[in-house]
Amino acid sequence: MELEVRGLTKTFGPVTAVREVSFRAPAGQVTGLLGPNGSGKTTTLRATLGLVRPTAGTALIGGLAYRSLPRPRRIVGAMLEATGFHPGRRARDHLRVLAAAADVPDRRVDAVLDQVGLADAAGRRVRGFSLGMKQRLSLAAALLGDPQVLLLDEPANGLDPAGIAWLRGLLRGLADEGRTILVASHVLGEVAQTADRVVIVSAGRLRFAGPLDELGGTGTALESAFLRLTGAPA
Amino acid sequence: MIRSEFRKITSVRSPWLLLAAGPLIVVAGVTGLIQSGGNVHNPAVQRQALAHAGLAAIITLLFGIVAVAGEYRHGSIADTFLSCPDRRRVITAKLTVYGLIGAAAGLVSSAVAVGVTAAWWAAKGGSFRLSGTDTWLTLGGGLAACFAFAVIGVGLGALVRNLVGAVAAALAWIALVEGIVGQIIGSGLARWLPFYASEALDRTDLGGPSRLLPQWGGGLVLLGYAMVFAGAAVVTTLRRDVT
Repeated sequence: MELEVRGLTKTFGPVTAVREVSFRAPAGQVTGLLGPNGSGKTTTLRATLGLVRPTAGTALIGGLAYRSLPRPRRIVGAMLEATGFHPGRRARDHLRVLAAAADVPDRRVDAVLDQVGLADAAGRRVRGFSLGMKQRLSLAAALLGDPQVLLLDEPANGLDPAGIAWLRGLLRGLADEGRTILVASHVLGEVAQTADRVVIVSAGRLRFAGPLDELGGTGTALESAFLRLTGAPA
Repeated sequence: MIRSEFRKITSVRSPWLLLAAGPLIVVAGVTGLIQSGGNVHNPAVQRQALAHAGLAAIITLLFGIVAVAGEYRHGSIADTFLSCPDRRRVITAKLTVYGLIGAAAGLVSSAVAVGVTAAWWAAKGGSFRLSGTDTWLTLGGGLAACFAFAVIGVGLGALVRNLVGAVAAALAWIALVEGIVGQIIGSGLARWLPFYASEALDRTDLGGPSRLLPQWGGGLVLLGYAMVFAGAAVVTTLRRDVT
C-alpha cells in the first residue's frame, strides 16, 4: 500500500511550515524523511494522519485520506513524538484503551507488548517508565492494528545502542513483509543504515526525493549531500 | 468509542478520588447545617439538608473538564484521534460516558444526603420523612445538576483544552465572577446565569437572588447551557489542529 503526499502546504498563522511538498513512499521499502529541526517533517506526518488540516494539497494512503479510512489503525500505525500517556495508567491498560477505540481484538495487546520487549513491564504505570520504554510503548501502539503502513517520528530517540539495533532489524523485517515504512529523523547515520529511499525537506520545502543510492549511499556521502541540499554551511 | 472511554476512566485512579470528594462535601454540608443550629423539627430544614446533594455538581463539573483537557495535557488526544478520526464520535462518546458517570455521582450524593440527614435527624430526635414529592424533587434536582455540569465540564474542557486554565476559569466563575455579574445585571437577569439556574434546580439556594427561576425553569436553562457547551465543543474540536 503506497503513501503519497501531493502538493502539501500548511501554514500556521504567518508561518509556512510546509510548502508544496510532494513525494511517495512505496510498499516494501523504508523511506527516510530527513530534515533539520523545524523543517516540516512532523507537520508533514501530522497532516498525513489528519491531525492537522492541510492548507492545500493532500496525503493519500492507498488512495484514501486518513480520515476516510475505515478502521484506520488496522491500516496505518503511527508513532509520534508528542503523543503522550496518562502517567497513572498501566502499559497494558493504555493499549487496551486504544484497542477498544480502534476495533482491534484485545489479544493483540499482549502480542505487541511482547514484540517491543515490554511484556515484563505490562502491569506497571507509565509514570515509572524511562524515555526508551515510552518509545517502545508508542511503537507497540503503532503496531497494535498490524498495519500495512507505519509512520514513525524520531523512533530512535531515547533508545540505547542495543535498542537502536533492534529497531533497525524490526523496521527492515516489517518492510520485507511488504509494508510501507516512513521514518522521520535527523539522525543521518541511522537513516543511512536503514532506509532504501530518502526524502529531504528544509525550511518546509522538498529538496530531494529518491533512492538513497543516488546520494552516494554511505553515511558520510549522505551527510555531505544533506548539508548541501539543506543549505547548511558544510 | 464508548467502551474505550470506559476503559480510560476505569484504568486510572485520579478521577475516582475527585468524585469521592462529592459525597464528602455533602456530609460536611449537612453536618454544618445542623451544627449551626438547623432545627430538625422544621420540614423546610430537612429540604435544605437534602439539597446538599446538588453540591456534588461542582465536582462533576471538574470531572468533565479533566476528562477532555487532561487528554490534551498528557498528549493522549492525538492517539485518540488516530484511533477515531471522526472527532464528532470522540466528543459524543465523552459527553455520553461522562454525563452518565456524572448522573451516577449525583445518585450517590443523593443517597449520601439521605443517609446523613436521616442520621442527624435520628440523633437529634427529629422525625425524618423520605416521602413526599418535595423530597424527591429536591434529590432529583441535585442529580440532574450533577449530570448537566458533567456535560458542561466536557464542553468547557474541549473549548479551553488547557487543564489548569479551564479548572481555574470554572472555579473563578463559581466563586466570584457569576456573583459580581449577577449584581451588575440585577437579579431579574441573574437568575438566568448557570449557577443561579442550578440553585433553582437543586434547591441549594446559597443566598443568591431571592427570586430564582422555578425549579423546572432552572433545569431547562441549565440543560440549555449544557447543549451550548456540548455543541461548541464539537464544532471547535472538528476544526482544530492537534500539534
